[in-house]
Amino acid sequence: MRFWGAVAVLLFAGSCLAQETIKIGLITDRVGISKPYSEPATEGAIFGAEEINRKGGILGKKIELLIEDDQSRPDISAALARKLVDQGAVFIISLSLSPATQQQQTVTMEAKTPQMTPMNSADYLTTQLDNPYFWQTGPLGSIQIATLLAHARAKNFKRVALITDNSDLGQAIAKAFKGTLEKAGIQIVADEVVSRGATTAMPQMQKIRAANPEAMFLAGVLTAENVLIFRAYKELGVKFPIHSSYNLSVPIYETVAKGLVNGVTFVDAYDPDKPEVKAFVAAYKKGTGKDSQNLHGYGYDGVMLIADAIRRAGSTDKEKIRAAMQQTNYAGVMGAKGMKYSFADGKRAGFDPNGMVVRVYEKDRQGRVVHVGTK
Amino acid sequence: MRWLAAFVALSGAAFLMGDYHNDVYRKMLLWITLALSYNFLFGICGQVAFSHFAFYGIGAYSVVILLFQLHVPLPVAIVLGVAVCILVALAVAIPATRLEGFYLALATLALAQLFVVVLNEGGAVTGGTGGIANYRLPAVFGLQVKGAWYTGVIVALLLGTYALLRRLDHSWFGRACRAVRDNPEAAAAMGVDVARTKVVAFALTSALAGMAGMVYAFVDNTVNPPIFGLENAFLLLFMVIVGGAGRHAGAVIGAALLFLLPFFLSPLVGHHHVLVFGVLVVAAILLKPKGLIGFYDAIRRS
Amino acid sequence: MQDLLELAVGATASGCIYGLIALAYLLMIRPTGIINFAVGEWAMIGAFGGYVLLTKYEWPYPAGMAVVVAFLCVVGWLTERIAVRPLIERGAPLLAPILALLGMLVVFRETISVSFPPDPMPVPFAFEIQDQKYFIIAVTLAVFAGAWFFFERTLWGKSFEAVALNRRAAALMGINLTRVTAFSFAAGAGVAGLGGLLVAPNVSAQYLMGVPLAIQGFTALVIGGVGRVEGALLGGFLLAFAEQLTIRYAPIPGGYAQGVPLLFLIVFLLVRPSGLLKAKA
Repeated sequence: MRFWGAVAVLLFAGSCLAQETIKIGLITDRVGISKPYSEPATEGAIFGAEEINRKGGILGKKIELLIEDDQSRPDISAALARKLVDQGAVFIISLSLSPATQQQQTVTMEAKTPQMTPMNSADYLTTQLDNPYFWQTGPLGSIQIATLLAHARAKNFKRVALITDNSDLGQAIAKAFKGTLEKAGIQIVADEVVSRGATTAMPQMQKIRAANPEAMFLAGVLTAENVLIFRAYKELGVKFPIHSSYNLSVPIYETVAKGLVNGVTFVDAYDPDKPEVKAFVAAYKKGTGKDSQNLHGYGYDGVMLIADAIRRAGSTDKEKIRAAMQQTNYAGVMGAKGMKYSFADGKRAGFDPNGMVVRVYEKDRQGRVVHVGTK
Repeated sequence: MRWLAAFVALSGAAFLMGDYHNDVYRKMLLWITLALSYNFLFGICGQVAFSHFAFYGIGAYSVVILLFQLHVPLPVAIVLGVAVCILVALAVAIPATRLEGFYLALATLALAQLFVVVLNEGGAVTGGTGGIANYRLPAVFGLQVKGAWYTGVIVALLLGTYALLRRLDHSWFGRACRAVRDNPEAAAAMGVDVARTKVVAFALTSALAGMAGMVYAFVDNTVNPPIFGLENAFLLLFMVIVGGAGRHAGAVIGAALLFLLPFFLSPLVGHHHVLVFGVLVVAAILLKPKGLIGFYDAIRRS
Repeated sequence: MQDLLELAVGATASGCIYGLIALAYLLMIRPTGIINFAVGEWAMIGAFGGYVLLTKYEWPYPAGMAVVVAFLCVVGWLTERIAVRPLIERGAPLLAPILALLGMLVVFRETISVSFPPDPMPVPFAFEIQDQKYFIIAVTLAVFAGAWFFFERTLWGKSFEAVALNRRAAALMGINLTRVTAFSFAAGAGVAGLGGLLVAPNVSAQYLMGVPLAIQGFTALVIGGVGRVEGALLGGFLLAFAEQLTIRYAPIPGGYAQGVPLLFLIVFLLVRPSGLLKAKA
């Protein structure tokens, strides 16, 4: 009898000692087409969670990241969102494709669970569904083109070419580009698409050359296909300036497109001179021994934003977190100097429209910032 | 009577599971339904087609467009949706069945890709690359059918498909299909109208896939191009062959196993789970070239 | 006019790549009837081999190329040994090796995916960027010339033909079926790997490049007809020209232009399913 009493006491004591954790779900892609972006972003998120836990966690409890792999398959993505909700996640971070994030939204809306994507930039994510539990802090396609255009305004373009790929994000960003360009009274004289798996972009570039544009806007997000475009550009010897989407901010272009991208301007949500960035890069190197890139910052900011919301909510109640998230006013790693994430007027896209910078490739490296914001 | 019991058992199970398991369960049921009709086309009729998943998409998009773009009332939408599935299936079947072997495979592969291009370029009608998401199944007689109740609808679809295919399989039509598969000249000599048999088989199974698509549209309440992409067409082929082509039970085993496997492998193996999946598929085929149904038969015999 | 000439050269080079993949399929289909969709992944391995030897370790190009092709031949031989021979020996239906190879497709892709960073990797050109096209064309013509010579003039090649026509009779005549099959897989892998290595400087080595190449190669094969080696190359040219001329000259928006070669293919299959070049009688 006394033996069982002792066991009971031990078990009871054990359960008291076992700390409760704050569960945050994370859906990423480890094997599919989103892997080049999802992988570093996930590493950044994991680093962020570990950093918070080292400093004592949130509200005295440690963060537990529940990581799921949706293989870029939207039907699995929705099921995984449900799994995370069932496991008690109070927030879900979506680090996979935009359609997968969309699919997860139908679940989080029904389950009244907060969800956010720090990286997806498709405009339709906050407009297609009216989901009060979803926030998007990635740099929207519409912000990208507005920033690019502001930088190029001095050149006074009237006729430009637009080129993209046939991925869903590439098409979404091209749509945003097209809308803004047309509204600014600029004529799009050529509108081309490079398919995934193409062996060359020569016919598209020839068509663009024949239309004689003053500049070319690149909305594509598939790195290999963008490299095809740059090769064709060089082979055809055309000279018009190229303005590119944020995909060019991925550092791999420095190696895989060496010699091809000097002079290309691109929008980025990352200013290497920003103090928060410098602090992050140093901390990441110290903590993991590895170098970081801008993609890590998206994941890191995502976790930080969630932690900030939970702290302000003062509890793990999903409704309180929702209200607190909507009141976010936070300066993260991404964004121009001084930019803060915020969701004004009940909007759910939180990246400041003036928060992107335009940078240019110089000497095969990602170079200086030449423009900030949309003024 | 057995059908009713099966219906009650399979639907009832949904109420005993949490939301997540119910979601996985009903998606598995849908894949089994698709595998059954694909097995009839591929295993029993011998037609190698990659268009099955495209028809799934045609059904899903049709019902969503009818209900929410054209604002047609639900009963009419269901009837029209089924009609669209059958008509498109026929339209494709008639030229397609003139092709043999890997020519049919290639043509249906091209068709599946074309379907995705049409979806992506469909603008306001198909919702383009983002698809259509903001919808819910309309109320039936004032009742909202959702969650575990909707699983009942899926079970009904599955049992209906299975019943139909089993009936056909045991009938002269099934025999005609097998004859055409094994030796078309001999079949023709025996008086089978080869062309017509092939057209009916293709059109029927594709239409069944379309109807499954109509049901799927309300499972995630989203339709977008990546869902109906080419990768899934290959996965369906895997399922049917790994399970055992030509046998209904084979389709069920293959679909259930290959659909559920990623959910088990991922937490078990972590990062490399797709690699393990590939290795397991190869191992399964090396072990049982005629399909895992071999194990099932061995158990039944002993 | 200048556009057309430039495009013609580019399309010819692309057509050569498709033709090489089609040839890889053909080398395996003719003696065994097995469609091996993993050729795309073999091409991908060739591309990554190029990255490792030529970019990372900066070997001289000819040495790197030779080692990559040789490595792929070994991979092809191993694939046959592991995934195909056990099934053939057991008398499994033809579908079984096709599916086992589809499984190997996943294994190859994932092995590369977990071994390298996910971004596309650079592979150097043999010469200057403009000359790569001519290099591709030259190498492809050499390979096809070799393949034609092999089938038409050598005893080994004739035994391949014999097996393709009638397996039983060939075995009865003393032709070693196992050896023929193993050789066909090794050769197919080598050719596919070469194709991947040649196209990689343009498209970059990445883990998802296999499936699109496999589909394009298969299309080229069917257009040209399985009967003759030259058909693979012809099919490749037709496919590449159809794709690129459509994008350049068809007055339809960019997005739809992808659909045109697919439509063209479907119509072609309905009208002339046996391919353009008939097999020898």
